[in-house]
Amino acid sequence: MRCDEVRRIIVEDWPAEVPAAAREHLRSCHGCATLARDYELVRAGLRALASEPVPEPSWGFSTRLLRRLQESSEREGAEFLERVGRRVVYATLLLTLTLLLALALPPSGPLRGPTAADLYLAQAEVVTAGNAPIYTGESLETNGATLVAPENGEAGNKP
Amino acid sequence: MDSLPPQEAQEVAWIKRAQRGEREAFGFLVERYQRRVFSLIFRMTRRTDEVEDMAQEVFLKVFGAIRSYDFRSPFGAWLSRVVVNHCLDYLRKERASRVTYYWQLGEENLRQVEAHSSNPEASGGDPERQAALRDLVGKLMARAPEGDRIVLTLREVEGLSVDEIAEIMNLKQGTVKVRLHRARKRMLEDFRRWQQGR
Repeated sequence: MRCDEVRRIIVEDWPAEVPAAAREHLRSCHGCATLARDYELVRAGLRALASEPVPEPSWGFSTRLLRRLQESSEREGAEFLERVGRRVVYATLLLTLTLLLALALPPSGPLRGPTAADLYLAQAEVVTAGNAPIYTGESLETNGATLVAPENGEAGNKP
Repeated sequence: MDSLPPQEAQEVAWIKRAQRGEREAFGFLVERYQRRVFSLIFRMTRRTDEVEDMAQEVFLKVFGAIRSYDFRSPFGAWLSRVVVNHCLDYLRKERASRVTYYWQLGEENLRQVEAHSSNPEASGGDPERQAALRDLVGKLMARAPEGDRIVLTLREVEGLSVDEIAEIMNLKQGTVKVRLHRARKRMLEDFRRWQQGR
């Protein structure tokens, strides 16, 4: 067998036991024999790792685990309630503040826009003005006084 | 479900109950699989002091994710996948904060291994040499890339078949074989580098 074939068997196939033909080669080839020895050492080390005792679960491991699961689910529930409760409190506070502001502000002013009642009154004034006679520039007689059209923007009654 | 052996049928029933959130049923599953989980974690991380904490974290994860288990693969393989992923995360984090040098292997161990190297066949039953060799290979494993470590542990230490490893790692059998071959080769090369570098 050639060196590359023997090394392929050793490294790639990782056999439990080196075939007889390869063993024959190993007797005469120092390089391959060293590789095979190293391979055997690593395998022996891995076998030794496999035989190492594994730590056992301590007494009551599953009970403690289940308790931890219960605690975490209770904590999650409590956190959920706390989150919801906090939001309700914030919403209530916001609503109360809005109501207080609405009560505290004056009925009119720069901070307060026209209310519905104001709009209704304004509309009523417009309607009243619409019913008044349209000024044409001619003099009108009312109760004996004569109204003359103002000139150059001057307004007023002229006798 | 009627055709299943009683033990498996019982396990399926526990899983279904656990999926509905029943902690007691999950407790039975913990009892059944805790040794396997401990063994996998210990073999992959080799941290005796952290095995129990890690096992708890794994089982908490499993309980949180058990609804996603669809019975297509055996529960043991699905659970092992969770363990392997957890250990991979741990090893990646650990690697970021750890440097191991050959000189940290310990002088006494080196002497023992050196003696063993000269005549490996003669030292088969020597417990001291075996311990030294175990320590050395354990440390070489700790230095190996996480992927190599996982696949070597599952095959060479846990003794799982390629099929089982493929199932656990969610890989094709051919991919597992290739990874296994590369991992073995790297391990052997690392061992030889250690010998030459001394």
